[in-house]
Amino acid sequence: MEAGEIQERVLKILTPYVKDAEALAKAGPETNILEDLKVNSARLVDVVLAFEDDFDIEIADEDVDAVNTVGDCVALIGRKL
Amino acid sequence: MGTPSKRERLGLQLQLAISRLLSPIWVPALAAVMGGPLGWRIEGRAELRRRYAELRRSRSGPLLLCANHLTMLDSFVIGWALGSPAFYLRDFGALPWNTPERQNFASTWWKRGLAYLLKCVPLERGADRVQVARVLDKVVHLLRRGQTVLIFPEGGRSRSGRVELESAAYGVGRIVRALPGCQVLCVYLRGAGQQSWSDAPRRKERFRGRIRAIEPKSDQRGLRGSVEVARQIVATLVEMEREHFHDRQ
Repeated sequence: MEAGEIQERVLKILTPYVKDAEALAKAGPETNILEDLKVNSARLVDVVLAFEDDFDIEIADEDVDAVNTVGDCVALIGRKL
Repeated sequence: MGTPSKRERLGLQLQLAISRLLSPIWVPALAAVMGGPLGWRIEGRAELRRRYAELRRSRSGPLLLCANHLTMLDSFVIGWALGSPAFYLRDFGALPWNTPERQNFASTWWKRGLAYLLKCVPLERGADRVQVARVLDKVVHLLRRGQTVLIFPEGGRSRSGRVELESAAYGVGRIVRALPGCQVLCVYLRGAGQQSWSDAPRRKERFRGRIRAIEPKSDQRGLRGSVEVARQIVATLVEMEREHFHDRQ
């Protein structure tokens, strides 16, 4: 799967958790999920679980530690696919 | 999970040694303040202490304490509810470590010093995940060494005043899964006047507490397993809360 396609699906999954919709519209690989998109840190786990369901992959606890930006998500999912 | 660096392990060892050395002063002093000027009382305290001491004696693996969270002073009240100063001076490992929010005591040097003395490993809420993981590694390290640690699995004070299953922070599940045979002692403590969350319990508060030991498990792998374990713990606290209010009626 192409990185662009993964990013598109990642942003779609993030949408209900994002508090700054304007930032989401301009989001790119460098966009920080917590700081820029204002996703609640406690909800980050739900986002990652949604990645598991949507992409049919399994993500380890440790993998979540490396998830800070949209690009991190794309890279992580790309490795698992 | 990872292991704390050698420097971090030595730091924890030093903190424990200093805290223990000064414990004959600060442990009785804290208990005296809670029972004296603050006038707090805990119904059924003797029974809670007896059961905790028994659990601590008979444990075969790590023992993690998980409690509901209504005020910034909950960890003190819980420590006081579960053991007398004499008990903690005999078994200093039974006095739980805490992971308070750094911002709550970072403002002055004396607060930071107090937190150091009172067995705290500060946690920055919303911090970089790698930083949070390092704190979790320290907690696992302490539990492996026979220390007890108190965690508030909702991740913060209950904003609704009730234990919220949806607030379960998965980090607690991660800790439990990293420690085979880890027992979780769920602690539910609430004052008669505590309708909601606040900074501190009122003076002359009357607390009522209950404890329940569980060994949460999950067949799920990865993150999903940790989330399931965390939810089992918070679900137990929800049930204990229901029993608490049922008993009060």
